[in-house]
Amino acid sequence: MDQLLSVLIPAALIVGALGAWRRVRLWRQGRPAAVNLLQGMLRMPRRYLVDLHHVVARDRYIAHTHVATAGGFVAAMALAIVVHVLGVENVVMAGLLGLAGLTMLVGTLFVARRRLEPPARLSKGAWQRLPKSLMAFSLGMLLVSLPLGGLVPEGAASVLTTLVLGVLVGWGLLELVVGMGWGGPMKHAFAGAAHLAFHRRPERFSDVSGEGRHPGSRSTALLPLDLDSEQAPGSEQSMGVARPDEFGWQQLLGFDACVQCGRCEAACPAHAAGQPLNPKKLIQDMVIGMAGGSDAHYAGTPYTGQTTGEHGGAPGERIVPQLVEPETLWSCTTCRACVEECPMMIEHVDAIVDMRRFLTLEDGATPEKGAVALDNLIATDNPGGFDNASRLDWAADLELPRIRERPEGVDVLLWLGDGAFDMRNQRTLRSLVTVMRAAGVDFAVVGEEERDSGDLARRLGDEATFQQLARQNIATLSQYRFARIVTCDPHSFHVLGREYPDFGGHYRVLHHSGLLAELIDEQRLQLAPAASGSSLTWHDPCYLGRYNGEFEAPRRVLRALGMEVREMARSGHRSRCCGGGGGAALTDVPGKQRISDMRMGDARDTGAEVVAVGCPQCTAMLEGVVEPGPQVLDLAELVARALVVSEHNSSTLREPQEEVPA
Amino acid sequence: MSSGIIVRRDPRAERIRRNRLHPRHHEFCQPAARWMGPNGVMRRNPHTVAAIGPNGLRRLDRSGATVTGGPSLRSVNDESHEQRRQVTLESPDFLVAVVPECPEGRLSSHDRDLFGLARQLADRDPASSGAVVAITFDHNAPELADAGADRWLALDDDSYAGYSPETRLTALETVARSWSPRHWLLPDGPAVGSDLGRRLAVRLAGLQPGSEEARAAARVWQVDGDHCICRGGGEHRDIHRPLPQVVLALAECAEPVSETRHEARPITLDTAPVPSIRRVTDHGRVAVDPSCIALDQAPFILAGGRGIGDWPGFHETARLLGAAEGASRVAVDDGYMPRARQVGATGTFVTAGCYIAVGISGAVQHLQGIEHCQRVVAINSDPGCDMVRRADLALIGNGDAILAAVAARLEARQHEEYRHDVA
Amino acid sequence: MTSPEVRVLVSSGRHPVSGRSGAAREDARAVEMALALAGEGVTLLHAGDPADASLRYYLGMFHEVPGLPSVGRVGRLDLLSMPAESDATSLLAEQLRHAGASLVLTGMRSEIGEGSGLLPYLLAERLGWNLVAGVAAIEHCDSESATILQALPQGQRRRLSVRLPCIATVDRAAPAPRQSAHGPARRGQIRVIEPQESAGVALDEPRGQWRFEPARVRPKRLKVVKGGSARERMRAAASTGGGGGGRVLSDLDPEAAADELIRYLESERVLQ
Ligand SMILES: Cc1cc2nc3c(=O)[nH]c(=O)nc-3n(C[C@H](O)[C@H](O)[C@H](O)COP(=O)(O)OP(=O)(O)OC[C@H]3O[C@@H](n4cnc5c(N)ncnc54)[C@H](O)[C@@H]3O)c2cc1C
Ligand code: SF4
Ligand code: SF4
Repeated sequence: MDQLLSVLIPAALIVGALGAWRRVRLWRQGRPAAVNLLQGMLRMPRRYLVDLHHVVARDRYIAHTHVATAGGFVAAMALAIVVHVLGVENVVMAGLLGLAGLTMLVGTLFVARRRLEPPARLSKGAWQRLPKSLMAFSLGMLLVSLPLGGLVPEGAASVLTTLVLGVLVGWGLLELVVGMGWGGPMKHAFAGAAHLAFHRRPERFSDVSGEGRHPGSRSTALLPLDLDSEQAPGSEQSMGVARPDEFGWQQLLGFDACVQCGRCEAACPAHAAGQPLNPKKLIQDMVIGMAGGSDAHYAGTPYTGQTTGEHGGAPGERIVPQLVEPETLWSCTTCRACVEECPMMIEHVDAIVDMRRFLTLEDGATPEKGAVALDNLIATDNPGGFDNASRLDWAADLELPRIRERPEGVDVLLWLGDGAFDMRNQRTLRSLVTVMRAAGVDFAVVGEEERDSGDLARRLGDEATFQQLARQNIATLSQYRFARIVTCDPHSFHVLGREYPDFGGHYRVLHHSGLLAELIDEQRLQLAPAASGSSLTWHDPCYLGRYNGEFEAPRRVLRALGMEVREMARSGHRSRCCGGGGGAALTDVPGKQRISDMRMGDARDTGAEVVAVGCPQCTAMLEGVVEPGPQVLDLAELVARALVVSEHNSSTLREPQEEVPA
Repeated sequence: MSSGIIVRRDPRAERIRRNRLHPRHHEFCQPAARWMGPNGVMRRNPHTVAAIGPNGLRRLDRSGATVTGGPSLRSVNDESHEQRRQVTLESPDFLVAVVPECPEGRLSSHDRDLFGLARQLADRDPASSGAVVAITFDHNAPELADAGADRWLALDDDSYAGYSPETRLTALETVARSWSPRHWLLPDGPAVGSDLGRRLAVRLAGLQPGSEEARAAARVWQVDGDHCICRGGGEHRDIHRPLPQVVLALAECAEPVSETRHEARPITLDTAPVPSIRRVTDHGRVAVDPSCIALDQAPFILAGGRGIGDWPGFHETARLLGAAEGASRVAVDDGYMPRARQVGATGTFVTAGCYIAVGISGAVQHLQGIEHCQRVVAINSDPGCDMVRRADLALIGNGDAILAAVAARLEARQHEEYRHDVA
Repeated sequence: MTSPEVRVLVSSGRHPVSGRSGAAREDARAVEMALALAGEGVTLLHAGDPADASLRYYLGMFHEVPGLPSVGRVGRLDLLSMPAESDATSLLAEQLRHAGASLVLTGMRSEIGEGSGLLPYLLAERLGWNLVAGVAAIEHCDSESATILQALPQGQRRRLSVRLPCIATVDRAAPAPRQSAHGPARRGQIRVIEPQESAGVALDEPRGQWRFEPARVRPKRLKVVKGGSARERMRAAASTGGGGGGRVLSDLDPEAAADELIRYLESERVLQ
């Protein structure tokens, strides 16, 4: 037995290593990027134990199971090498090996239990085999340790049992060690570890979150595309990603780490709405593209309306439409629910936007209304094609101070966003102005010089237009002095605050919920308590919550209004998107239902009379849901309604109070 | 109906109408019901569809085609021509040539405006009187006397039929050589309407190179003395320039003649135009199913929303009205209408002259799509909804019932017309 | 069928809202029609300022569209360098005479400058080529002739065949242009051709005496209602003139509402 193992284990390790080498080669097909090998390896364990488990622990069952199984396996494997290959045979070692095997076996039993009736989001196929392989290995190791530890007499093993044991351990080694390198479910361990070590967004991990590209952020800003180098005249390089080998190699590595747990699938609003997108399948398609082949072996939920086996790809071949249909990419709202949920820290949104960049910048294949919006952005600086000089028309009677007229500077620069062209959002803006005036906030607006932040262009893949708008806005802002920017549009909030730094614009940006919370904390607003018994629910906008971690400020404001805040089934970092982000409202890929209808359903289920929102896009999407349903009101409107009007500023208040339906 | 100039019955035209195989059959049978106004907006001629027979009754042509007949009893001209002053001109000092487009074989309002402008130029100087010569390529062009023509050259040979720019151009060139009109006025409309004028402009300019007079003015919208104002490219500039020989004028360039009536005395050319080789061949019109006209080009739309309960009734009413069908997104989502029929921000932006919205509340996303509609009618049970606010006419009530009543009336009307004909 | 050589005359346009220069909408349709017809056989042609950046918009349209001919990776634009305010006709005519193309597409009118729409006619006259105006689609094209659908009002079409060489002006009813993509726009090749001495760029003299002014709003023609009873005239005047909001008729039974609707449609000449 001992001899058998001393051969089997090294053999498995060598074959596994060869496979791993091949795997590394697959990853390195991607675009090069330098990494620090040693530093990455050193950082990996902590990232695994802290950051990854932080995500995994949201599902306690699988978290514990994974600790037992993976921990047991690593220990058993290490000990087995020491005992059987290096020949350090003693009772202690044997005992430890037995213990490791036992721990792993217990974990494995839980794995097996989950696999008895697996939830829909889990992939089947080879993954159904995994618990058996794990069991074979752990049982084998446990049994092998028994004679060594003297629990069973040394010679008790007959040829038959040796053979059985050998097969068990051999099977286990094949799946766990060889499979880790050569593919199969256990590939995730190797790829996952490497992915953690060399993640393209190191800021996502607690060890370096203070440094890097976006210090202190959740690293949700899209990475800039270097337009000049990638399209030098005569360059054959195309912009964005057309083929799997045009992803960065770290991205390919990331895709390879996917465990097909389907958490992203369960979180994805587009998938739930029956649109042809499933983030898990998308990541698997990327793996197929990287390695070459068809999706026939994919054993999870397909894209709605498509059957597996009809698509395939290769590293050097176009992804769209051979491997992935364009509708899949255009269904995404960039809500990041998938990224937030992914235990392997895979970056779905980056991948989707990279592929969209190619479709828009090289292929001219943005869906129709999206293309119209892009043309408008280029010609008029706003997606609606309005005369940009009319951005302040709605506020003619409010006499908003322009920053141009305040060379000495102001505290708050109010960034209007494109909601300024929308009658509904103008009510919100009016309310916000009323509240700021009531609190005596020193503010001004940019006015006609303000352009769209570029959010829509960027998510639709038009990096060129985004960068153009960003540069122009930064140039405009550089002329003025202000302490911070406040906006009631979370998209502007995110883009100005998180994505402009890459282009030299560094600002303190606040969402209006943050400002309102601050004003309330400082007791600068006199608010009348709400009628008792009135209840509302807060819809977390993706670009405020998941993108920027602001969950608390709006809730603090709502509580200050004295209303009962009921939480929807999906809220906070798991909030469900309204369906309006990432240009999805324009691309409007047909599904079985609408994301906004589902979200309104969530709100309705709470029984609240009002769904409070903090985003013009969410307002439009949720108000677009047919009645009946809770009333949709912006945070600013709710605060304005509750303001106690004192004599001297009543004049500015009358208007909005009439407009806000009681 | 005393005028002898208005050709009420034209045996040749009637013959062609009955003969479906005649090469010009389509021209005589197309309803001259609609044409493009100055801003690309569809307009309709109220005098068509059913023709008025000699006894003053509506009649249906047995050929099955819609007949382009003489003026109806309610014609504007008939109402006013009793009061018009007859003008005759025996020996004019100069000529102003007008080549009306006569889309579908009759004067359009654009053509009438052009005659108005021609009169302005001809009558400008009391000391020297000009005659307005109408040149038509169709014997069937009536109403020239009321439009303001003193003379009428009808070139109605078959070689001018359909799209025949080369033969028409040679004919005009012959006119230019024979009579040297002081001015040429041709319509500058959207699409092909402006084609012949540009050809003539270029041809005449070639005859007198370098002359500023010869450089045609296009898109003229006002003439003042011997200067004119042209709308420049992109609609954002006006060009003030001396009035040249050839003037291509936009619709509403002048008021149509309404006070006087003229002779429209037929005249002929002494020298026949040299026939030219036709290098462009007209194969005739292509049948276009009204329901296949792209929504964004449809001139008249009946749109339904969530308030529609009776969809078959809706389709029937649309058919009877001759309207293209549109829908709100909810109607599309619910599967009652195909996605291509959705009007609005994420559907189609429409430009219909008339848009009827039934059971559509008027969400911003929907209203964005009808921003460029001229007239909007709302039929809705809720008088407070935004569509009612947007509408030029709002009918409050049950949409299904109102549409059913409309359908019943239109159907009855068709029956009536048929009975008239049989009687 | 080998794809024919097609030239498209393009010039920059002016955005109706912002006034920013960009693509001219009809020219973009002409480029679309050419690319859909001839793919790689398309070359764009412009006479004017070599620094005009908006021309790149058209080069951005040189990308593949499923089901249409391949356009090649790099778009081609020949630019005849010419000072502003000069007459492009002779330059373009010379270029076309030697280019070997037999089909030339262009928009109906330019969006900047005079916008008279005379240029294609001047070229056709000078070259002795045929001209077809208001093209909605090209159904077929070989080296001898083309079959064309001409746009008529109200979505109607007329089929023509024309011998080549021919200049065709493209109507707004033609298929909408494909998106202009940044990559091909940057990559596209602009070949600047300096005019030869002999070509003699003529300064456009008569234009010197013209006065260009911002467009005045044209007065709306009042609807003259002649005849009918006094009540009908009143109704007609009330139904449109009365600034802003429309009429709201409630408390009607369906029959009465139907009558109102039909009467309205008739008075607005939507229905006869
Ligand atoms: C991003 C986004 C894009 C959108 N894009 C579009 C778009 O392109 N196009 C579009 O249309 N919508 C669009 N919407 C949806 C839009 O917000 C509305 O939900 C939709 O237009 C409402 O359709 P509706 O008017 O048919 O239904 P409703 O709003 O439910 O209105 C039904 C109307 O019918 C009336 N009614 C009911 N019964 C009767 C009856 N028996 N007789 C007469 N009237 C009756 C009611 O009074 C009501 O006014 C979009 C929404 C979003 C969020
Ligand atoms: S991408 Fe992440 S969340 Fe989705 S299945 Fe793979 S590992 Fe799970
Ligand atoms: S970002 Fe949102 S919509 Fe896009 S794939 Fe992820 S979960 Fe789905």
